[in-house]
Amino acid sequence: MKRLSLVGRVALLASVVALVVGVIVASALVAILSLRHSEARESQAKDVTVATLRVQELAVEIQSSLRGYVLSLNPRFLTLLHEQRAELPGALTQLDRLMVDDPVQLRRAHAATEELRGYLQDYVDNVVFLAPISPADARGSASGDEDRLRMTQIRQTLGLVLATENTRSQHRAVHTRAVARTAEIIGIVGLAGSALLVLLFGAWVAHGVARPLRQTAEAATDVARGNLSVRLDEGGVGEVGSLVSAFNSMTRSLEVSRRELLLQNERLRESEQHKRDLISMVSHELRTPLSAVLGFTSLLLERDFPPDEQRRYLEIVDTQARRLAALAGDFLDVQLLEGGGFELELAPFDLVELAREQTRLFFSHSESHELAVDVPDEPLIVNGDRDRLAQVVGNLLSNAIKYSPEGGEVRVFVGERGGKAVFSVSDSGLGIPVEDRERVFDKFFRGAAKTTTVGGTGLGLAVAREIVTTHGGTIDVESTLGHGSTFTFELPLSLTPAVSA
Amino acid sequence: MNGSGPDGRPRALIVEDEDTLRELIVVTLGEAFACIEATDGDSALELLRESPPDLMLLDVAMPGLSGIEVLREMRADPVLKEVPVCVVSAWQSPGDVAQALEAGADRFLAKPFRVDELASIARSLVERRR
Repeated sequence: MKRLSLVGRVALLASVVALVVGVIVASALVAILSLRHSEARESQAKDVTVATLRVQELAVEIQSSLRGYVLSLNPRFLTLLHEQRAELPGALTQLDRLMVDDPVQLRRAHAATEELRGYLQDYVDNVVFLAPISPADARGSASGDEDRLRMTQIRQTLGLVLATENTRSQHRAVHTRAVARTAEIIGIVGLAGSALLVLLFGAWVAHGVARPLRQTAEAATDVARGNLSVRLDEGGVGEVGSLVSAFNSMTRSLEVSRRELLLQNERLRESEQHKRDLISMVSHELRTPLSAVLGFTSLLLERDFPPDEQRRYLEIVDTQARRLAALAGDFLDVQLLEGGGFELELAPFDLVELAREQTRLFFSHSESHELAVDVPDEPLIVNGDRDRLAQVVGNLLSNAIKYSPEGGEVRVFVGERGGKAVFSVSDSGLGIPVEDRERVFDKFFRGAAKTTTVGGTGLGLAVAREIVTTHGGTIDVESTLGHGSTFTFELPLSLTPAVSA
Repeated sequence: MNGSGPDGRPRALIVEDEDTLRELIVVTLGEAFACIEATDGDSALELLRESPPDLMLLDVAMPGLSGIEVLREMRADPVLKEVPVCVVSAWQSPGDVAQALEAGADRFLAKPFRVDELASIARSLVERRR
């Protein structure tokens, strides 16, 4: 079915209602007209009867007047007779006029007229003429058979007219009653039907328009109060349906954007917390090496130590000052990360040699760790920023030591795999919980390490990932909680040989 | 004194997980004190119960038991509750300091500290006790 708009539907239904009401009113009018017509016909029949009876009455009166005159020769009867005769044509014309559309009755009326004229001309005139001359003959004639026969004939003719009219009148009365009942029924049914139609139309408007509108208004109030999960039942008629679906899509998108905002807010809060943690971490991380530098410098300045002790303390100062410098470097790198990456100074170099150098540097002091180095004999040339990659390798090695405080084996691997240079370091230390593995490369993220005494800023791995990905490489972690972690990075191999330093 | 060393110097227990800082404290106090060292809270408590020292320098953030927890256990122990304690910590917000003092610290020394200040606090704590 073609989907009509709401306006179209309302117009269509209103037209249907108007049409039906119109048909009902027209039927009622027709019934009323027909009733009037029937009544008119009924009353015409009555008029015919009245006119016929008048003619009959005049005929009888004429007969009586004639008899009176013949018996008494009193001229008063003759005057009466003349008056009655004069009335007769009017009564007959009246009858004629009433029967103008009824040929059968008209014929009968004409017959009666002829019979009356015959009676008057052929009989009454003769008797009136004869009476003064021969009263006895006139008396005999007036009470004779001819008079009786002619009058009987006239009565019969008029009686036929009356009987016919009477039958018709009865029929017409029955018809009129039937028409009246029909009109009544049409009126009542029509009124009830119209009322029902109007009610149905009203109900449809209420159901199809008013109710969805009310629900939409209620839902809008809900939305205004902040409940964005309100949804309306879709599938309304035309414009109402569009309104409901538009409302639903509005609340949907509002809900989505609110969720996004909340999420963003949450992230902002988290990042704020990270920054606060960082400041606290920085101050703590700086204080330990600073204490050593300041403390040993004071002691060296104030006291006299044997040369070997002096040297040892100076070495401590040196190491701790370097630690400070490395921390400062990390913070600087974070600044660079936030400023949009850093410049690399690319040159081909040997990754194997770099790994050896860094391993020596980081494991020279650790006695509790057992080092296993698996590197190829030939150089593995990559095109990269050697200092930056040394920073990455150093960070991974120092993490391996830092996060295995109980010592244990640390395995360093360098090799070629699938056309890439691979570096990996495995420890047998604390490991990383599954839920933190994705986030260890996030800035300031330290996961469970935050609550341990393992120092750190949460910056090293974030910087390492940035350096590796800027080189077009990848960095990953595999870990088993309680059994250690393996950090691996891959870099594209260089096509040009290393330049000897 | 019950805890004095064999040469009559008072005994100081240094609890610090950072090797260089522990060494710094030992060198600073070494002339006046017989130093005993511990790298975490549990071994500190063990050493304390073996023989209570005349002075304890206590770091807060350490693996295992924290300095604050060690301090609380000490103050609950009738034998150890009189040992003078100076908390040495890098965590030095007013809340951190209050927590240390409430747990029973006699003094609070913030890192980075001056070595002469450390020496004078150590001296005053031991002298006050005598």
